[in-house]
Amino acid sequence: MGYLVLGLVAGLAAIERKGFLQAMLSRPIVLGPAIGWALGDAAGGLLLGTPLELLWLGAVNLGAAVPVHEALGTSAVVGGAVLAARAMGGPVTPELALLVALVALPAALVGRWAERSCESWNERLALRAESALAEHRLRAAARCNLYGLALPFFISATVAPLAAAVAAFLAPRVLAAAPSLAAPLRVGFYTLAAVACAAAAKALRARAAPRAFFGAAAGAAALGLFALYTGRAL
Amino acid sequence: MTLRGGGEHGPPTGQAPSPSAPAGPAELGAPARLSRATLARVFWRSLFLQAAWNRRGMQNLGFAYAIDPALRALYGDPVLREEALRRHLGFFNCHPYMAAAILGGAIHHEERVAAGLEPSQASLRYKQTLQGPLAAIGDGFFWTALRPFFGALGALGALIFGLPAVWVVLVVYNVIHFALRIGLFRVGYERGDALVPLIARLSLPVVADRLRTGGAALAGGAAGLWVYHAAARWPEPGAPITALAAVAGYLALARGARLFPTAYVAALAGAAAALVLGHFQGSS
Repeated sequence: MGYLVLGLVAGLAAIERKGFLQAMLSRPIVLGPAIGWALGDAAGGLLLGTPLELLWLGAVNLGAAVPVHEALGTSAVVGGAVLAARAMGGPVTPELALLVALVALPAALVGRWAERSCESWNERLALRAESALAEHRLRAAARCNLYGLALPFFISATVAPLAAAVAAFLAPRVLAAAPSLAAPLRVGFYTLAAVACAAAAKALRARAAPRAFFGAAAGAAALGLFALYTGRAL
Repeated sequence: MTLRGGGEHGPPTGQAPSPSAPAGPAELGAPARLSRATLARVFWRSLFLQAAWNRRGMQNLGFAYAIDPALRALYGDPVLREEALRRHLGFFNCHPYMAAAILGGAIHHEERVAAGLEPSQASLRYKQTLQGPLAAIGDGFFWTALRPFFGALGALGALIFGLPAVWVVLVVYNVIHFALRIGLFRVGYERGDALVPLIARLSLPVVADRLRTGGAALAGGAAGLWVYHAAARWPEPGAPITALAAVAGYLALARGARLFPTAYVAALAGAAAALVLGHFQGSS
């Protein structure tokens, strides 16, 4: 049932991402907790949605450029993590999140490849619309646009649960086989998150980005560490 | 005068409009005005602009689909309606939010074309002239500044306040998004060519530049908080390794490193470093 729900949400997110609305609902920061909530662990979805948003902050459709499919990647990673945690009987932990991410992140690259296929498919729809117009079927010609929503839905609804299933199968087994890896993997999760922040600052391409990024990072870290060592947790 | 949407099937090609079709405003000498319901329908359909994005005509199918209810209301004669739909099936590509302005402006011109006040190519010229510049403004403002800024704000908010921050960010972004999208559609429809100075007055490139700098600062704040989180869970190796990853990651990406390999190397190197340092701490 969980995989069905994941497939449905991933399919809808793929539609929202490009074909309809584009109101940030398919961005990792929203989609992560949404999938987590649908599968019973919104906090686990947020744990992964936050670094994934920053990692893919620069993933935008500019003209004919096709970026990585951040919605499909998020669906696969968050779905895999929540379902693996559910199978282990606990919440999503940073170490589990990292392992699942390492396995399921390439789904975003598969999504990019699939998007190119969708564009080729849509060319056929354009030809079909022209044929309908030539036959004076005006409504049919206009309606061809909506058929373009089907393929992205189907691809994401299929690929996301598949990638999540592979990750949810492997990650718990790695953790069970080498429990001593849990603490280092946790640090690995934080380094991935830190690089995601760097990727976000870099993707923004502002002239003052390096100054703003390093200044704010130093300030926030200093404030946090001061609070931590004086016994006042943030 | 206000027109309503036409029926599914008009009279056969080449015949005169049926008596029930809306009176051609050409005879009245003034452009017809579409009903609010038809405009709302066009706007709703504009949200599907990229449903069938393709490399041949890009957003052509989406534009034709969106403007179709307006054409049905404006052209009682199916021959003219077909001709109008055909011209909107031509190549079109713009930023999906900014395209709302062009859609409104194209309807503005189609009203005049239907009234015989402008040549049939007027709306096409309008689209061709504006799609490039508005795409550049839209991409530069919405896709590379406003949305990333709110994405970074949501991420930082999530680290500090949790899930409620994400919903607040989502609502605020969409208030701005829909206000601009609806506003641009209305301005395009009501003012047609006068849309350009109005958009220029918004100074979107200047605002975008500030949003990008702000977004970078928010991402920096998030990096600092991850260092704090790492320190809270495993102070000795966790905090310095995380801080080092942020610095090294930025420098590597600035030198042209690819995102995916960088992320994998950072995660694995971080875990390996923690494993080694943890081993030494354990043995000392």
